[in-house]
Amino acid sequence: MAAESAEPIIAADGLVKHFGPVRVLEGVSLALAERDVLCVIGPSGSGKTTLLRCCALLEAPTAGTIRMRGEVIAEPAPGPETERARRRVRADIGMVFQHFHLWPHMTVLENIIEAPRLVKGASREEAVAAAEALLAKVGLSDKRDVYPQRLSGGQQQRVAIARALAMNPKVMLFDEVTSALDPELRREVLLVMRQLAAEGMTMLVVTHEMNFARQVGSRVAFMDGGVIVEEGPPRDFFQRPRTERAQRFLAQFED
Amino acid sequence: MFTYQFRWDVVPNNLHFIFSGMQMTLILSATTLAIAMVLGLVIAVLSMARPWPLRAFGVGFGELIRNTPVLVQLLWVYYVLPIFFEFRIDAVTAVIIGLSIYSSSFIAEAYRAGIQAVPQGHREAAQVLGLNQAQTFRRIVLPQAIRVTLPPLAANFVQLIKYSSLGAVLSVGEVTRKGMELSSSTFRPLEIFTFIAVLYFFICWPLSMSIRAWETRLARR
Repeated sequence: MAAESAEPIIAADGLVKHFGPVRVLEGVSLALAERDVLCVIGPSGSGKTTLLRCCALLEAPTAGTIRMRGEVIAEPAPGPETERARRRVRADIGMVFQHFHLWPHMTVLENIIEAPRLVKGASREEAVAAAEALLAKVGLSDKRDVYPQRLSGGQQQRVAIARALAMNPKVMLFDEVTSALDPELRREVLLVMRQLAAEGMTMLVVTHEMNFARQVGSRVAFMDGGVIVEEGPPRDFFQRPRTERAQRFLAQFED
Repeated sequence: MFTYQFRWDVVPNNLHFIFSGMQMTLILSATTLAIAMVLGLVIAVLSMARPWPLRAFGVGFGELIRNTPVLVQLLWVYYVLPIFFEFRIDAVTAVIIGLSIYSSSFIAEAYRAGIQAVPQGHREAAQVLGLNQAQTFRRIVLPQAIRVTLPPLAANFVQLIKYSSLGAVLSVGEVTRKGMELSSSTFRPLEIFTFIAVLYFFICWPLSMSIRAWETRLARR
């Protein structure tokens, strides 16, 4: 199984996505090895979110492929083999959204145990035990039986992270998960993500949090105009950006 | 001068007759509601379907029914449909068919609004976690949609109780028809129709009020 572990957990290859006449992605390739934390930054409209949605199998690529451990799971006209692979790995890709998208008719606990019960066929007892451990991890054990509307944005986002983790994903995708939060609530979410990264979770993080990218990212990719303009270790990228576009982008964050 | 002599005793004397009509009214409305809920779901699903011919049919049917008078629809079902299909239907069946079709077009709108009120993101969250389409609809979309749809469904029931009075035109023995018969045999239309109006009011009003209270509670959640 040595060959398998050499394959990236998730990889995009020549990804193109057009919405009618709008060209959002113009050929993006990336690969995440185990324990990688790739932070994708760039101006709004650069295609970051679409890239993530393609990796989450929420959008079908116009051209290019998504592979998981070398196996094609998304392509423009998926054949039966790809469809089977897609269904099989679906739950191995966890995603956290900018606007949480917790289900309002379920309590925090019910939100978390829903997918393990339905998709993995877990018994209620095991699902609840796992959910309780996850709630403890994100610091919300006391909110177990509360409805999401009663929680702050930061708390809701932490529940959303716990909900995604409940499926034991191999990779976690984060789509600007702190952008909808007040500054004082961002920290608690970022802290949970830091902890995840420290535990070795493979993560693809679209973010505007430069400090997070600098400190937690194992690599940083800078996107503009539907392509990855520059990619490298955070230290190099933040201290000596090679491209002029990246330099201009980073200049905005200097006070 | 107002010299009319009220003779209210016609009401208690014929109470049994009037109530048998009321019973018919409620049976008609409840049957119609049950059929219209199913038919409405079919129309709602059609009007949200991907293939355009299905969608055109669903939307077109709804528009046609909502923009023609219900009385004309009832007369059409009773007098025209049998010519087409060469069989006679009795008046009660005609009223149930006519009102069901009429009501289903409004119920379909309520369903559609309810389903579309569930944010796309809730579906995507389910999809990413591996729930299939059927599971997503049953566990995530439907429970949320039903909450939004129940008050308009109940409001439709109130409408149906009132509209079933149109059955009188086709001689269906619901409460309005009973009133017409009673008033021509006793010559006391004023007392009888007043009582019948009050009867309708005290059935519909509490229903309407509880729907309003229910909607307020839902809005607060």
